[in-house]
Amino acid sequence: MSCQELQDLYELYALGVLEGEEKTEIDQHLGRGCENCRRGLADARAFNAVLLSIGPAEVPNRRLRHRLLASIGYERPGWFWTGMLAASLMLALALWMGTQERERSNQLADARQTLLQVTGERDRLNQALRFLSDPDTQPASFGKGQQAPPRGYVFMHPQLGVMLIASNLPAAGAGKTYEMWMIPKVGAPRPAGLFQSDGMRGLYILNGPLDLAALNAVAVTLEPEAGSAAPTTTPIIVAPTGS
Amino acid sequence: MRLLKLIPAVLAYALLQVTLRRDDADLVRRLKAHEPKAMADLYKRCGRLAYTVILRIVRNTAVAEDLTQETFLRIWNRVGSFDAERGALTPWVVTVARNRAIDHVRSQDGRMEASAVDLDRLERPGLFVDLDANALSIDRARRLKSALEKLNANQRTVIELAYYEGMSQTEMAERLNQPLGTVKTWTRSALQILRSELIEAAIA
Repeated sequence: MSCQELQDLYELYALGVLEGEEKTEIDQHLGRGCENCRRGLADARAFNAVLLSIGPAEVPNRRLRHRLLASIGYERPGWFWTGMLAASLMLALALWMGTQERERSNQLADARQTLLQVTGERDRLNQALRFLSDPDTQPASFGKGQQAPPRGYVFMHPQLGVMLIASNLPAAGAGKTYEMWMIPKVGAPRPAGLFQSDGMRGLYILNGPLDLAALNAVAVTLEPEAGSAAPTTTPIIVAPTGS
Repeated sequence: MRLLKLIPAVLAYALLQVTLRRDDADLVRRLKAHEPKAMADLYKRCGRLAYTVILRIVRNTAVAEDLTQETFLRIWNRVGSFDAERGALTPWVVTVARNRAIDHVRSQDGRMEASAVDLDRLERPGLFVDLDANALSIDRARRLKSALEKLNANQRTVIELAYYEGMSQTEMAERLNQPLGTVKTWTRSALQILRSELIEAAIA
């Protein structure tokens, strides 16, 4: 076949759909170095590319580009932003976890404080029970017969010390505190510790050995918050020890 | 017919742009050096076009993505023997893309054995040299698009089967239940109409 006869077949040949004798003819022409066929096939390839390109453009998913470039080990600039996003998320997560941790720490500290308070209360009650259950404890009352003063008891023990329980004892108020005094038979009153009232009751324990024989009374005055070396107000509680 | 639907559509050919641009040579040189950025540039230029061609043939986006990736990796691995000065890069990419899709469709149809054509042989880089730059202009693509409208239904069918399904004329005859001679006549006349439109454009 001549080149003229083959020219209508170049496109099909370039597409790979030509077969049989027609394909063999073109193969032979090319094998002989036929410039017409080589030129014709080059034009056919251009023609086919244009024809294949006509039509509505489709847009591939962005992941295709990522996949392709990743397959040749190219970390495109976009990965920077992905990294930044990941880092931001990690930072936000860390901050959130930090906040959670702080909250947990605060809750734990509160729980510890509550436990200490409960333990302190328990210890004070245990001490009170020891006062009340020990046969060597000597009681003394105060406030009886008065209209609305504090009333209560003082328990004294030669080894345990003094325990004061008062009812109708108002809160000391801002900047004030109650101060207990040991009033000996001879000499000036001695400071015996500071305590507060919850507005109704007051419980105070002074630990330590006590010379009951030398004691004349236990008194309580309202003093400045830091306490005083000697009473500055009239006692609101005076419990004679009676010995 | 799919081809009919394509005619009023936007020209994907706009993506083809001027395929034999001078910067082809620079891009090819960078591809030969296996610069990763060159692959990103090639994909930017031809990615949508290759994907469009492939999707039109396989009609499945996931498969089209796989085959597009395969197309570009094939270009990446074979660009070493591509002529940077005389080669036409985009037609090569389009051809490789179309062949990958046709190869897939043929394997799906069990036509691998029946096909006597080695697609691989038809996309060798050395074949895509000295292509006429004018033949690939956007104006001529528009002419070709309007020429498709002049084809009758039978002519459009055989063009579609050859280009988008990779069928030989014997296979077309079986599919269409027509004599082989009739199919050859339809194919030859269709290509003549399309080709003559481009020749007229070149003269004008």
